[in-house]
Amino acid sequence: MDIKLEKIDDYRWLIPKSGRMRVPGLIFSNVELIKAVREDQSLIQVANVATLPGVIGHSLAMPDIHWGYGFPIGGVAAFDLDEGVVSPGGVGYDINCGCRLVTPRLPADEIRPLMRDIVSALFKDIPTGVGSTGPIRLSKSDEADVAASGAAWAVKKGFGTAEDLERTEDHGVMDGADPSVVSERAIQRGKDQLGTLGSGNHFLEVQVVDQIYDSETANAYGLFEGQTTILIHSGSRGFGHQICDDFLKNMAREVLKESLNLPDRQLACARIKSDLGQRYMSAMACAANYAWANRQILMHWAKESLQRVLSVSPRELGMKLLYDVCHNIAKKEQHTVDGTPVTLCVHRKGATRALPPGHMLLPEIYRNVGQPVLIPGDMGTHSYVLAGAEGAMTQSFGSSCHGAGRVLSRSKAIKMARGRAIHRELEDKGIFVLSRGKKTLKEEMPEAYKDVSQVIEVVHEAGLALKVARLRPVGVIKG
Amino acid sequence: MNSSKPDFTFLDHTADLGILVKGTDLKDLFEVAARSMMYIMVKENPIQTTDTVRISVAGQDLADLMVRWLSEILYMLEGEHVVVRNVRIAKIVPSHLNAILGTVPFDPAMHEILCEIKAVTYHQIEVVKNNEHWEAKIIFDL
Repeated sequence: MDIKLEKIDDYRWLIPKSGRMRVPGLIFSNVELIKAVREDQSLIQVANVATLPGVIGHSLAMPDIHWGYGFPIGGVAAFDLDEGVVSPGGVGYDINCGCRLVTPRLPADEIRPLMRDIVSALFKDIPTGVGSTGPIRLSKSDEADVAASGAAWAVKKGFGTAEDLERTEDHGVMDGADPSVVSERAIQRGKDQLGTLGSGNHFLEVQVVDQIYDSETANAYGLFEGQTTILIHSGSRGFGHQICDDFLKNMAREVLKESLNLPDRQLACARIKSDLGQRYMSAMACAANYAWANRQILMHWAKESLQRVLSVSPRELGMKLLYDVCHNIAKKEQHTVDGTPVTLCVHRKGATRALPPGHMLLPEIYRNVGQPVLIPGDMGTHSYVLAGAEGAMTQSFGSSCHGAGRVLSRSKAIKMARGRAIHRELEDKGIFVLSRGKKTLKEEMPEAYKDVSQVIEVVHEAGLALKVARLRPVGVIKG
Repeated sequence: MNSSKPDFTFLDHTADLGILVKGTDLKDLFEVAARSMMYIMVKENPIQTTDTVRISVAGQDLADLMVRWLSEILYMLEGEHVVVRNVRIAKIVPSHLNAILGTVPFDPAMHEILCEIKAVTYHQIEVVKNNEHWEAKIIFDL
């Protein structure tokens, strides 16, 4: 299938409506980034999403777009609640995969000599790696509580404070969660994985703020140059994977019944208002809540590790949550379409919400400057903090990018890394890395990803979110 | 069963992992697909006794059956912590299969997880007859 791509301006490309597309596709990119996008199948995926019933506006893609399954990674699509569909493939298997940025009160130059000890302690204390299980064993009723109340469950159990909930997207709990619709299999997979980082691209990173772009907003976020930050990237683990899997299979049946004739089976979906659609939304909310509780616990353990290694009290450490955002989710949100306010179901698959200043869903502390948008780079380069901007509301249903975006397949990355000691190369750059899996470092090496600074440039110039600060990694733990 | 590499090739996918599997007939194809997935996920000590488990899987067509079949085996590892070692398809029609699995409880001392597969996807799934052979294209989410 040949996809027609028209350049609108330096940061926007259009896929005109053709064939069975109900709306056009719109890709935020630049001349450099769009080259790789043309080479894989992600443009076809943008066009495929545009064929789904009830899709509104454009089938969108962020500058970190790459080939996913069903929806592209970096894809955003909004659906009408009456006519539209919800698609588990439009959320992804790792429901509420997301990022959490934490700011201990530690000048980076003071802890630099201790980095090896810090990373080793974090690696020891935080369960990582494939199929990792943690010290928490959830009873069935506890797991239902986690699924219903999210990060608040963790806070109630002593992992953090109520203030953390204020600084979490949706207060760390998604409405409408109903644990009774979650399968036994999902419950089985989730019972011993709460408080675990996982594998693949998930990580915990110690960083230094090395550049401030907008001092007023940085100030509001509590960020300053030379400060230490900790970025946690994880999701809902096997609990979420199983929920996605269960509903995809049920919806694949539904699609045949409805004769939707989808271009890719992975786009399996159900009408939002149907019983199956509603049950998926309730189960997805359970997984979203599990992920928020997970990141809350991971943060708490990171805090305890630092206190121990640095021999400081919680007060001296002064570790605060800056914000927690999810980037794999479908949410009912208020937007304005053709001047009329409407409630839509916005799918973000590898895309971050980016609310502008003044938005009513923002916590009081960030109301004047906009929502913190946390964008991890690859482990060898920078991560970024941006602030949601008005352009996101007018162009992308309040969404921004979610990361650098892969450019090499895992097998190509491993091939390219053959004979190289990636951890040494990173150490030479001043980044101390510990990883559980032998292949992970190779699969996740910096060259496997797009240049995150270009992705950020596009988001900034297109006005979706504005640059606030740049974070340089100094210590990484991975699965 | 993981000591020798089953007959599959990797497909290049930016984010995930795809395989192309070949079989002489449908039974062989589904057996090789399961072995390939386990080969990718777990490295194990070959000297082990096994338990026997019989499973039935239903699907709408061969492609759906393939996704559901591999998902069952994946769940055994992820949910029940059981490693599937031997696979024999006793009966297969496009809507159904019966299989006899040789399994062993997952033991970190005996098994090394090489790769975590989150799920078997429907993305570009294909199960087709190509001349005298059967072929399947399967993409896993990592």
